[in-house]
Amino acid sequence: MSAPGAVEGPFAALREQLLEAAAAFAGAPASLSEILAGLVDDVDRALREQLEIFPVCHHSPASALAMARRLREKRPEVVYLELCEDLRPLLDELRNCRLPVALQAFATELDGFPAGSGPLSVVAPITEASAEYQVIAYALETPGVELVLVDRSADHVFQWLDKDKDKDRDDAPAPDPEHGEDAALHGDAVGIEIGDLRPRFAELEAHLLHHGKVRHWSEWWDQYVERPLLDADHDTYRQVMVLIGSLFRRLAPERGDRLARDEERERHMWTRIREHLSTSGADPARAMYVCGAFHAASRVEEFGLAGSDTYTVTPRTGTRWLYGLIPSSHSAIEAQFGLASGSVSIAAATWTKAVSRGGVKPYRLEGQQTKAKPKKAAQPQVTVPGPVPDRLSGFLSKPPELGGLDETELLGWCVDLVRLARRNGYLSSTADAIAVYETSILLAGMRDRARPTPYDFQDAAVTCIEKDVVPGRRDVRHLCEILLGGDRIGQVGYASMPPLAREVYDRLEPLGLDLHKRTVQRALMNLGAEPELAPCSHLLWMLRYLLPDGVVRPIMGTRRLGERSLQESWDLSLGQHQRSLIELGYEGVTVEQVLERRLRRAVWDPQATAATALEAVEDSIVFLGSRRFTDELGARAVELLSAERTVDDAPEVLRRMRRLLAHFRAAEPELPAWCEAFVTTGYAHYCTLLPTAFVAEDTGVRQVGAMLGFLFSMEGLALSLGCDRAQLELAVQQSHPQAPAKVALLWGAQSQLGLLPLAALRERCDGLLANPLVVPSFPLYISGFVQALESVPALTPFVVEVISKAFGRLPDAVLLPWLPKLITTLRDQARELVPVLVREAGRTFPAGLVELDAWVPPWERPAAPPATAGGQGVAASGPVAELLRAHPDTCDAVAALLGCEGGWQADEPPAYAEAVALLARHPETALAVAGLVAPTG
Amino acid sequence: MSDEMLRAPAEAKYADELDWLESVDDGPRPFSWRLSPRMVRLFVLGSERSDGLDREIKQKWFGDRSLVERAIVTLASDRGLLLIGDPGTGKSWLAELLAAAISRNSTLVVQGTAGTTEDHIKYSWNISMVIAKGQSRESMIPSPIMTAMEQGVIGRFEELTRSTSDVQDALISILSEKYVSIPELDDDNVVFAKPGFSIIATANSRDRGVNDLSSALKRRFNFVRIPVVTNKRSEAEIVRFRTTELLRRHRIELDVPPTLLDILLQSFADLRAASESASSDDERLESSLSTAEQIGVLEDAILHSHFFGDRTLRAQTLAGSLVGSLARRSPEDLAILNKYWHGVVEPRSKKEGGQWPDFLEGGRQAIATLS
Repeated sequence: MSAPGAVEGPFAALREQLLEAAAAFAGAPASLSEILAGLVDDVDRALREQLEIFPVCHHSPASALAMARRLREKRPEVVYLELCEDLRPLLDELRNCRLPVALQAFATELDGFPAGSGPLSVVAPITEASAEYQVIAYALETPGVELVLVDRSADHVFQWLDKDKDKDRDDAPAPDPEHGEDAALHGDAVGIEIGDLRPRFAELEAHLLHHGKVRHWSEWWDQYVERPLLDADHDTYRQVMVLIGSLFRRLAPERGDRLARDEERERHMWTRIREHLSTSGADPARAMYVCGAFHAASRVEEFGLAGSDTYTVTPRTGTRWLYGLIPSSHSAIEAQFGLASGSVSIAAATWTKAVSRGGVKPYRLEGQQTKAKPKKAAQPQVTVPGPVPDRLSGFLSKPPELGGLDETELLGWCVDLVRLARRNGYLSSTADAIAVYETSILLAGMRDRARPTPYDFQDAAVTCIEKDVVPGRRDVRHLCEILLGGDRIGQVGYASMPPLAREVYDRLEPLGLDLHKRTVQRALMNLGAEPELAPCSHLLWMLRYLLPDGVVRPIMGTRRLGERSLQESWDLSLGQHQRSLIELGYEGVTVEQVLERRLRRAVWDPQATAATALEAVEDSIVFLGSRRFTDELGARAVELLSAERTVDDAPEVLRRMRRLLAHFRAAEPELPAWCEAFVTTGYAHYCTLLPTAFVAEDTGVRQVGAMLGFLFSMEGLALSLGCDRAQLELAVQQSHPQAPAKVALLWGAQSQLGLLPLAALRERCDGLLANPLVVPSFPLYISGFVQALESVPALTPFVVEVISKAFGRLPDAVLLPWLPKLITTLRDQARELVPVLVREAGRTFPAGLVELDAWVPPWERPAAPPATAGGQGVAASGPVAELLRAHPDTCDAVAALLGCEGGWQADEPPAYAEAVALLARHPETALAVAGLVAPTG
Repeated sequence: MSDEMLRAPAEAKYADELDWLESVDDGPRPFSWRLSPRMVRLFVLGSERSDGLDREIKQKWFGDRSLVERAIVTLASDRGLLLIGDPGTGKSWLAELLAAAISRNSTLVVQGTAGTTEDHIKYSWNISMVIAKGQSRESMIPSPIMTAMEQGVIGRFEELTRSTSDVQDALISILSEKYVSIPELDDDNVVFAKPGFSIIATANSRDRGVNDLSSALKRRFNFVRIPVVTNKRSEAEIVRFRTTELLRRHRIELDVPPTLLDILLQSFADLRAASESASSDDERLESSLSTAEQIGVLEDAILHSHFFGDRTLRAQTLAGSLVGSLARRSPEDLAILNKYWHGVVEPRSKKEGGQWPDFLEGGRQAIATLS
């Protein structure tokens, strides 16, 4: 192998160790030697580059330590970092956060991406035990140091993803039950990380795991790279990292889209670096480029300061990107990047231990929130490494003893774990602690490790403590993770949140709760006694509308049109769902603004219907109370209704419109214009569609019933607004349904319109019951009649009569199978009509057994003689009657017009004279009532 | 000797390998172990080129490496080893391999049944000798476990949870005090365990609740759960390995076409998925669909083809054997198989062709015969 002399020596041993992996995947022997020579070339090129390249690996404490050491030693003035260039302004906000948090770029208003592919979200999690955090902390805390992000923008992340035909979004999070509930903290964002270093195809990884005798990649990395490198000097570190990056690169699939994407990124990064150097005039010797080891071994033409300048950065799309910080967690990072459960926690524990051991002082952002206790002061200065011993030779054959666990620590773990297990329901005892200790050491011995690693300890604990069942929610493996640092969950500080989120916290302050806590907070509000809490309650209802379920949850109290609670109780978990609140903050500056935009979006959606628009109108009244906005939404509802060609939503429209009318009549002096327009349009609209709806098979009885309900119940209003009743009569006359249920509905409508007297209707029903050919379908008629109650409430006694007759006369073969159906139909489709029916039945049927014998149904009683006009009737009384009596001309004229004979009744003393006398004697009650009803009058 | 046995124990069958490993083993050995823990692992899981051995050691048990390591380490510690898992996951085979590798004797076995008594675990008496000579060590019949204690080797207890709780509890003192006292004797009345003694017990997770282990006994065992193999590649390896062994045992020369093996594995994978998604026991096959069951199906088909067929394994025969082995309850199992055959095998045979149409036909016939 012809390698340059400069890189011979220390690499000989490592090359030998990696030979097997390379040989297994190289194919022909010629290509093997080519690969090996290439590895050396790559390392040589990276290390000789004028601009110092610092290769890193994500979530690697060894990288972080080496970085801290190097930064203290070199103190560069410019640092180029492999991170999306548009995320730079966010970095300053890290000061206010508790790590881990993720930098997020978020876009909902897409321009240039396929419609429906949004919302787009990119996250870059930052942990404390990472090299990138060291760089960021150094650059932000040291005056005069410039930090330049050089990777492609978030927009390009999706542009380039889009190019991939096979959609290898391997970095998208995969649901994994192994990870806990906090694993979903990143949502469905695409994750990017600095220093992605992992074999690019499964076989290579499987080969390394198999030969490394480990279970997963994180363990391999920890055992073979991480621990040996923890105390390596700068040169060794760089050589090893570039070598590994180069090997993975050379063994990556040649035509993979991912490799092409990586190369494009490298071109982008080098182009940006050169641009910056030429514009700023910075000295390359005082600069440093921090990138993943994979990119350090790049072979693109643009590589290096002397690289070609042929690459042009493609323009971004017109998509509007929003930026912010969201909380992250170890488990979320593991889930996002396919790492083994617990590996990031173990890396964090390794970092803490390495830092506390001294030797290097890590950088930390001033004001950084942290939960960790203050560490005892580390040694102030870095120890300058002496002559470098050849540590490389042993990397893959035998891990060094340094960095392993000492006995006291292992003992401590064993004891703590047993205690933790006991608290979680395991029957563990001191004997188990001894067994775990012994087994850890035995396992480490069997696995060629000088001291047990956390992974050995975990295995030993599972072996000795976990029996056939897991008593609690947590198994021993999970307990070990908790013990070794646990899943740390980050928090975005108040100052770094978007204005909306900050405003929410401010406005909820009167509640007196610490809403940053991750536990559920219970808010109790007695709005009668503490009216100052009303704005909080209002905000909470809006948040409940806007945020996903579970973030704010009312336990007691409701908020609907016309309803307001005097007491409310809420479960708030804003601390745990910070991401949802922050992402809400991307949509607008205040909650009201976001709500308005959402409502507006809902009514202008291509799929919007009149019912959804009415729902938005209701919501706008309940939450925003802006007349102008409500009118705008209402006007849209009218538009939508007139454009609709189906009546599927008629029941919903009827229900909502009735409620809105009731609201406006109660709360406003007059109906809004849109409301009147809606009623007139609806009247005309439903009249037009009625004949078709009666015959169309795909239109249900409920829908037709609701249409009739709309027409009849709003008829008064519609006619007063200029509609013509003849239109409805014609529509009913044009309707010729075939289906029995709809026939019954039609009869109900005709009866309401006076086209079909009740006697005739009764006769028809009796005829149906007497006809054995129609009897089986009689239940369908009943369903129709029940639906008709919506529009013709006066039909209730008749419906009770029909049902009673059906029960009495229908044969069991028809009746029994139909009964369950009747009940389910009533429950599903006519829930609100059942109480009416039951009340009527209660009035009709005798209450006791004794009366039953003598009882005759009202419809079978002989008809009472018609009341003669005048004399027998109850004398008209009240202010109306008095008014008419005082001005009889109008009535006389109308009577003459109609040909009504007979005169005015004698002005007899009113029948309620006694009552009047009583009231005159004791006027206090009446006055008090009058005062209540009309306080101003 | 192994030639004369229907089934030789592991230590006899792999005597060569064990001898050789013992000769090259320079690692530290706990107690009286014949091999060091690393060599035991090597014996069970087979060697690789990177182990740098002059001779290849075949893999004998297929499963997670860390499970084997945990099992070996447990035996080197103070506790007994309890292998727990579904039927057919290879618990007993692993126990046998471990006992063979560690103490060259895997035959000191107590089989747990409802009829197992404390005598089977400790000792009993040869009545005629007692009448002739009185109670003495000579007239005592030691149980396999007591023998293991005396020799300082591994004793095995199969199906621990099948035996009743009072019998199980006899193990508590053996595992903690490591001796058995014989109160019937006046002197020499304690049998102390020699270093190296330990117990490998197996328990069927489907028997949970029949005779649950007491907490005291649980504490004295380390549990290692053996999962059902769901990785198709490992499963194929296991089936091939065991079938080759069976063919050798029966002295049958017959090829198992890889396509048929694929069909078998695929069918089991499908049926397992169906079982998992079933909501009640009636919609689930009674069989546990383990790897051992697959081996049974294949063996059955091979024997059938060899003795009643044209000495070639055909898809029809395999289908018949599969239906015959899995249809245990009528009509539930037959109904499930019928549904599977018509809902999955039929479309697949149309789509993929190959041996599937024959498999479909064979299955149909078998179901028709049984219905």
